[in-house]
Amino acid sequence: MTLWFIRGLRRGVVTTRYPARPDASAASLPTPPAFRPQGLTRQIADRLAAICPSGALRRDGSVLVYDVGRCTACGRCAAQAPDAVIRSGEFELATTDRSALIKNIPVREEAR
Amino acid sequence: MTPEDLRETIARQFGRSLHVRTLDTGSCAVCEQEIRLLAAPHYDLNRLGFFFTPAPRHADLLLVTGPMIRAFAVAARKSYDAMPGPKIVVATGACALGGVYPEDPFTHGAVDAVLPVDVWIPGCPPSPLALLHGLGVAVGRLADKVRDLPFTEANDPERSRGAS
Amino acid sequence: MTPLVFLYAAAACWLAAATAGLLTARTAAGLRACCALSAAGGVAAAAGGGWALFYGDTPVVSAGGASVVGATLQLQATGLAGAFTALLGVVAVAIALYAPRYHSPSRGTGLYLAAYNLALLACLAVLAAGGMVTFLIAWETMSLACYLLILRHPREVSAARGAFWFLVLSEAGFLLVVAAFVILSSKTGSTTLAGIASHASSVPGGWRAAAYLLALAGFGFKAGLVPLHVWLPEAHPVAPADGSAFLSGVVVKLGVYGIALFAFRLAPPTGSWPGLVTMFTGAVTAAIGILYAMAERDIKRFLAYSTIENIGIVVTAFGAAMIFHTSGQRALWTFLLIAGIYHVANHGCYKTLLFLEAGVTEHATGTRDMDRLGGLIHRLPRSAVIGFVGTLGIAALPPLNGFVSEWLIFQGLFQGFRTGSHLTGILIVLAAGILGLTGGLAIYAFVRGFGIPYLGMPRTRPAAEASERGQPVLGPGLLALACVALAVGAPVVLYALDKAARAVTGVTLGPLLLPGDLTVIPAHADFSAFSPTYLAAFLVCALAVPVLIYLAGRPRAGSVRVPVWDGGIVAFRPRMQYSAMTFSAPTRVTFDALYRPSVSVTRPSDDDPAGRSGPVHYEAQVTPVFQRYLYRPLVRCLEWLADLVRPIQSGDVNLYLLYVFAVILLAYLLGAV
Repeated sequence: MTLWFIRGLRRGVVTTRYPARPDASAASLPTPPAFRPQGLTRQIADRLAAICPSGALRRDGSVLVYDVGRCTACGRCAAQAPDAVIRSGEFELATTDRSALIKNIPVREEAR
Repeated sequence: MTPEDLRETIARQFGRSLHVRTLDTGSCAVCEQEIRLLAAPHYDLNRLGFFFTPAPRHADLLLVTGPMIRAFAVAARKSYDAMPGPKIVVATGACALGGVYPEDPFTHGAVDAVLPVDVWIPGCPPSPLALLHGLGVAVGRLADKVRDLPFTEANDPERSRGAS
Repeated sequence: MTPLVFLYAAAACWLAAATAGLLTARTAAGLRACCALSAAGGVAAAAGGGWALFYGDTPVVSAGGASVVGATLQLQATGLAGAFTALLGVVAVAIALYAPRYHSPSRGTGLYLAAYNLALLACLAVLAAGGMVTFLIAWETMSLACYLLILRHPREVSAARGAFWFLVLSEAGFLLVVAAFVILSSKTGSTTLAGIASHASSVPGGWRAAAYLLALAGFGFKAGLVPLHVWLPEAHPVAPADGSAFLSGVVVKLGVYGIALFAFRLAPPTGSWPGLVTMFTGAVTAAIGILYAMAERDIKRFLAYSTIENIGIVVTAFGAAMIFHTSGQRALWTFLLIAGIYHVANHGCYKTLLFLEAGVTEHATGTRDMDRLGGLIHRLPRSAVIGFVGTLGIAALPPLNGFVSEWLIFQGLFQGFRTGSHLTGILIVLAAGILGLTGGLAIYAFVRGFGIPYLGMPRTRPAAEASERGQPVLGPGLLALACVALAVGAPVVLYALDKAARAVTGVTLGPLLLPGDLTVIPAHADFSAFSPTYLAAFLVCALAVPVLIYLAGRPRAGSVRVPVWDGGIVAFRPRMQYSAMTFSAPTRVTFDALYRPSVSVTRPSDDDPAGRSGPVHYEAQVTPVFQRYLYRPLVRCLEWLADLVRPIQSGDVNLYLLYVFAVILLAYLLGAV
């Protein structure tokens, strides 16, 4: 019992200070992606919508409707189109309004 | 009571002491593992005044995971009804928010088909940090910031490539 | 004018009621008339008993000229008997109010009521007996009348068996009581109780102890001390509800009265070991009684075992009183006598009430099995409330009367250190520990006894369709009021019992029991104190606080009615509830060595070659330890002896003539000597 106590004192406090101070482990968390509209053509948007297993992506005209809430951060869209999809690094995604999680990403018109 | 008054009341009543009852409506239990980690020393939700309770009668907040399978709908409704007001419902995880499982004969697909959800926490699974943030938003201690995040990076090439 | 006048009036009423029962109970009006007479007798007896408490001992009256077995009928109203007589009266009134709605008019009912009123009369005669012969004749009459009482339905095998157990054990007890009386009367040279009591100190210690032990065993058969209790669980379920109520409420109390009579008046022992024997017999009886009660599904058997438990408590108190007497603590001696009699009165009230309610339940649902009932609080609301008062009383929960009398007994036992000897003190506190275990188990048992039938959901259709229409309410209601009155009015009751005890022990406790301000103290001012009246008032007020908070806060917040939280189960079925046996399972597992259950489990997969599953059949039977290991060997022994003696009755006329010749020869020889 005493040994455990002394060992604990030497190791120090392991509890995170979050949310008062940022937590270092947050940098390596899997997070939903962000999109680069320059790399996002209609064709790419359709391909991304087809391979998303969770139904988070849907192309509606010239807008890619992206439901952040449905995303599972699986990485398939990033593997499919590395130019269009980047890591967002955002994990503080809680909201009181469901529609705040639905983002409309503009799709670039392809220059023909 | 206006929504602002409601938020203020909730912040005043629950801001420093909140009892959470978790509810699994058919998830794969990974969300439950992350929730369980909240009680562990590293994340320690008790230091923020949040506590887990098994009884809905003693709970202020219902933390729901899973796609709300139809077989569980009655039990979910009963759990919600058994909570005394004021009460908050938080849906967490991609399944609960409508992803992964569509609506079909076995599942509703999203928690808000059966229960009135107040706060949504995305993630698959949501990390304990995301859950802490979500609980903070639920009691009004932390700001709801996803509304202002565009999730587009038009001119920033220094961001690392890939989603994970 | 003495209290005996009231007792004569009661006797006359009951005699009239018995004849009315025989003649007229075939009609409803006749039934009501018989019960009215019975009730009148009860009122007279209660009045007489109550007065006798204050009056003290009346002189012995020889009722004119009735010469039986060479001795006249002798009557005396004593303070000690007065308490029991008052209880007899109250119980008689309650049962008389209950009987017209419980029984249907018929010839069988008429015979039953005649036997019942005769039993009442005999009980009164036992209590009012001033002489040994009167006592014994009245005792035997009471036993026989109770036998007829139990045998209301003679064609049922279980009824016959229950009544037979009662009769056999009553007769065995009677023999021992006769022996005890014969010893005392021959040593003191008097046949009146008062005479024996006044010459008690002249009886040598050994004979006194022998007489006392014979009386303890003899009256123990009637009171239900372990291992002489076996008739109680057999006879109570088969007798009609008011018969069981009478048995538990009055008849076993007469056994206690007999023990008290010998312990305090006729043969007070000189050493402390008879007191120790009594005390531990009582403690073990109490523990075993409640343990067996936990394993019963039949409501009446359950209540019968609970009676055994309460008798054990009273006898423990009397035993400790005897020990205090021999070590010179006269105040505690008197105090425990008072506490024991108070518990007798309390138990008479609430046990009678519970048996009457069991009868109502049986009539409303057709079953006595707890596991077939449930939710009766909705179907039989008034019975449920009355039954709840009785349950609170018997579980000894404040503020009711059971709590007060058990508190008094415990306080008396805790003062065991006041005896000079360390060993005796420790033994007394050990007995108190056993009673403590009993008290805890009693609460457990009665949560089960009230909760399973009355609360929850009905487990069978008869329970769901039970109706309170036409069920008796006045009789049990009167007893519920009596319970509350005995609790709140405890100072008054104790004052009266103090007066009565003075006639027995010569000690008046006065301020050592009731120092004023409605407080009660256990015979010593520096030990503890408590006020039953204030406690009852306080609890009622404390209950008012949440009600007031609710009423004050109600306009502010709206409220929603939702079903009870049941874990989210979609359809809650009655079979998901606790059953009586699962609720008591922890006790039965812990005390497995006492119950020695024989368990049989059959699974369909055991026989099926393919190992297919199906409903599992589980049966557990508590081994009747006393019947198997004590009574059956005794009976076999008697049968063996009878077999030995059988050759005498050979049927051969020549042998019989030889017997006649031998006896005449013997008579001549003896006459010549």
